[in-house]
Amino acid sequence: MLFTPPDPEILARRDSIIAALKAIVPDGVVEVATDLSAYESDALPAYRERPLVAVLPRNAEQVSRILRYSAEAGVPIVPRGAGTSLSGGALPRADGILIGMGRMSRILEIDYENRCVTLEPGVTNAAITRAVEAEGFYYAPDPSSQIACTIGGNIAENSGGLHCLKYGLTTNNLMGVKFVLPGGEMIILGGKAPGAGGLDLLGLITGSEGLLGIVVEATVRIIRKAPVTRTMLASFDAVPDAGACVAAIIGDGLVPAAMEFMDRATIGAVEAYIAPGYPDAEAILIIDADGVEAEVSDAMARIAGHVVACGGSVREATETLARAKMWAGRKAAFSAMGRLAPDMICMDGTIPRHALPRVLEGIAGMSKRYGLGCCNVFHAGDGNLHPLILFDAMKEGELAEAEAFGADILRLCVEVGGVLTGEHGVGIEKRDLMPEMFSVADLDQQHRVKCAFDSGGLFNPGKVFPTLSACIEQGHIHVHGAQLPRPDLPRF
Amino acid sequence: MTRVSSESQIVDFVRAARAGRSPFEIVAGGTRRGVGRPMASHEGKALPVLDVSGVAGIIDYQPEELIVTARPGTSLAELKALLAAKNQCLGFDPVSWTFLTPPPFASTSAATGTSPASAPMRAQGRRASDASTLGGAVSADASGPGRLRHGPPRDSLLGFRAVNGFGEAFRGGAKVVKNVTGFDLPKLVCGAFGTLMVLSEMTFRVYPRPNARATLILRDRAPDTGFAALRTIWKSALEPSGLSYIPGSAKFPGLGDVGEGAALIRFEAAEMPLSEKLAAARLLVGGAEEISEGDRIFTAIGEGALFQNSDLEVWRVSVPPAEAARVAGAIGSPHWLGDWAGGLLWIGARGEDAPRIRALAMETGGHAMLLRAPASRRAELGLFAPQAPPLAALTASVRAAFDPLSLFNPGRL
Repeated sequence: MLFTPPDPEILARRDSIIAALKAIVPDGVVEVATDLSAYESDALPAYRERPLVAVLPRNAEQVSRILRYSAEAGVPIVPRGAGTSLSGGALPRADGILIGMGRMSRILEIDYENRCVTLEPGVTNAAITRAVEAEGFYYAPDPSSQIACTIGGNIAENSGGLHCLKYGLTTNNLMGVKFVLPGGEMIILGGKAPGAGGLDLLGLITGSEGLLGIVVEATVRIIRKAPVTRTMLASFDAVPDAGACVAAIIGDGLVPAAMEFMDRATIGAVEAYIAPGYPDAEAILIIDADGVEAEVSDAMARIAGHVVACGGSVREATETLARAKMWAGRKAAFSAMGRLAPDMICMDGTIPRHALPRVLEGIAGMSKRYGLGCCNVFHAGDGNLHPLILFDAMKEGELAEAEAFGADILRLCVEVGGVLTGEHGVGIEKRDLMPEMFSVADLDQQHRVKCAFDSGGLFNPGKVFPTLSACIEQGHIHVHGAQLPRPDLPRF
Repeated sequence: MTRVSSESQIVDFVRAARAGRSPFEIVAGGTRRGVGRPMASHEGKALPVLDVSGVAGIIDYQPEELIVTARPGTSLAELKALLAAKNQCLGFDPVSWTFLTPPPFASTSAATGTSPASAPMRAQGRRASDASTLGGAVSADASGPGRLRHGPPRDSLLGFRAVNGFGEAFRGGAKVVKNVTGFDLPKLVCGAFGTLMVLSEMTFRVYPRPNARATLILRDRAPDTGFAALRTIWKSALEPSGLSYIPGSAKFPGLGDVGEGAALIRFEAAEMPLSEKLAAARLLVGGAEEISEGDRIFTAIGEGALFQNSDLEVWRVSVPPAEAARVAGAIGSPHWLGDWAGGLLWIGARGEDAPRIRALAMETGGHAMLLRAPASRRAELGLFAPQAPPLAALTASVRAAFDPLSLFNPGRL
């Protein structure tokens, strides 16, 4: 079962909940079933649920009042940005308020002297770069959904992207937030000055998947665009050779701005889709080097040396157009898969780079065993795999088989010393696999942290943690003041 | 004083302390014991000491993975040497604050009956830079000028093992560079000053260490133009590894006469890119002279050498970089310098300056950390200013989630 059954007592109060929300946001309550269906799922469409009601605040004060109401009324909250989560992070609850942050979408300040932008959570990732690129700056984290996904969602999921090997994930590029806690109080964490001046709660809430509160304002770091960027396409006749090449490049002290892997199945699908002109090969790597001219020349020469030594061949692009074409295939990889099968699941484990050949071999074996196709496209530089499992949900039992296949892949990732998710989040999708990676004591500790923010267990319940007892059972001493609402009800 | 050398011994110690409701101080190299609010038991007595310097040693180092796992009591000097042998380094430029530690720790060690063989005593006899440990540097968020390049400890610490206040061993994070599975607990470790848990293992991302470095100096620059030059480089794509400003009034040891002040710019790279970066930097900020003793100066800046022979209270004031000149001017002490392109001000001040320093930092959205002062002053002022009530309540809640009985370094942060 995905969630505990909806609380009939909350369902019975729907009208009064809607009235209370309308009093806070008169022009932003969605209550009609057909309108609510827009919020039924995020980018993990295998799971669907219609929210009790959706509310679309316009400012921090409204967010604060909504959260105060939710705490007083004991109604669960599910935060949502653009709904591009691949792990079901924004999957609603039938007995919960969905709070959509899309209308808070202003860029508030661009401060080049302090190299930062302050913005509301509903601004899209790509819009940050668009706002500063005329001055030669950009925002580094670049998840593939960047034209749609919002900074609020990026913070909730600690989103990565193609370039995070060199430039880090969201957490490494986020300087401060205004954050509304369950119960409605607002705190300020970080800002334009370096460091925390206390516990690093900013680091804690980043990637907390909507379990701890809601970001109503963020300050992010911007970076000057490197003067030179070059792209190399390396092709290999055998997958293990490509894996060995990745290890050789990293081991040589090179930190490419990006290093992406695609296997034969992916290359074929992408060629059929937008014909970027990829070579006929078992595996390719697309590698970006950026920096000053001499730095890039040096890096490119050394990388080419490793490619050849590993039995591969090299093609290089320096012109913007040629580079864009090389990257277009990678960026279209997920869309291209749509031609191979009606449905797919994208996994997201990270492994130590030396384990690449072993894990790729293991995935190939599982693919045969399950009788389901699997394409591999991933961020090779940081060992973040994205196996795409192909299936047809209309065929009896295939979704369950695909999910079992995915779970087996993640178990293998953990077995070789890796993790369940590198950038997509646990959400609903990988929730029940958490014990594969964490002991009871590990999960208890995380649960206590959750309780420190949300003693009522009202924030995005049912996500991330497999089973959560009430906070009180953790021996937790809550300092916030809120009473545990309706302690008789199972919340998770 | 109880000395432990393994996680299971830490578990035993914490469980006993928990049963006896007996808080304690966590000490490894002992070089930072004089930082933060002095700790005492409810009865005002000195706390028992848990000596974790024996929880030391490298567990796993895989240069080709750019990852190292070590026990927290490992000496920084040892770890740095190990990494340097493979042309790698820790990203956060850990510093020991060598010159800030006034040896001996007379009050603490006398009160706790420190034996001659114990680690804190050894720290007195050795140079602090040798005694300083990995766990201590990360817990104190102690990073030097090089932090500009790869960020603070929080950007490098990937995972850890530790014992919480329930006496349970647990882990946070993992041993891979990219991970979002569960809450990012490693972030909380950095700068917590040992108030959440007793660490037993730490995994870091490490970085390639370029083989060449060079430092440019701009002399006779007033603070506003000096910091503006630093920010010009900071805003460029040249990826500097040090941007510091030293006013003439500071009379920085070994720097000679710098007129109104010196802006220092350091790059690290392979040789060819390095000369290209130096040329590009000169185009951006004008005639800058290359100096050979740059690394020594940057090390001295990070360690706090400016305050070695003074009895001033020492502050680390964090401000938005563009506010650095204004804040330093408003504080008005002649004994100061700026690091991290202006994001960090080191200030030596008289006691009466404290309220103004805290107010100025807060006004800019930053904060002021009291790094060195007599115990009575540290008790009065705390390491940081009090937080706004909702944030203070949340911080207390989070702390209680790890250590509900306040057993670990109580009151220090």
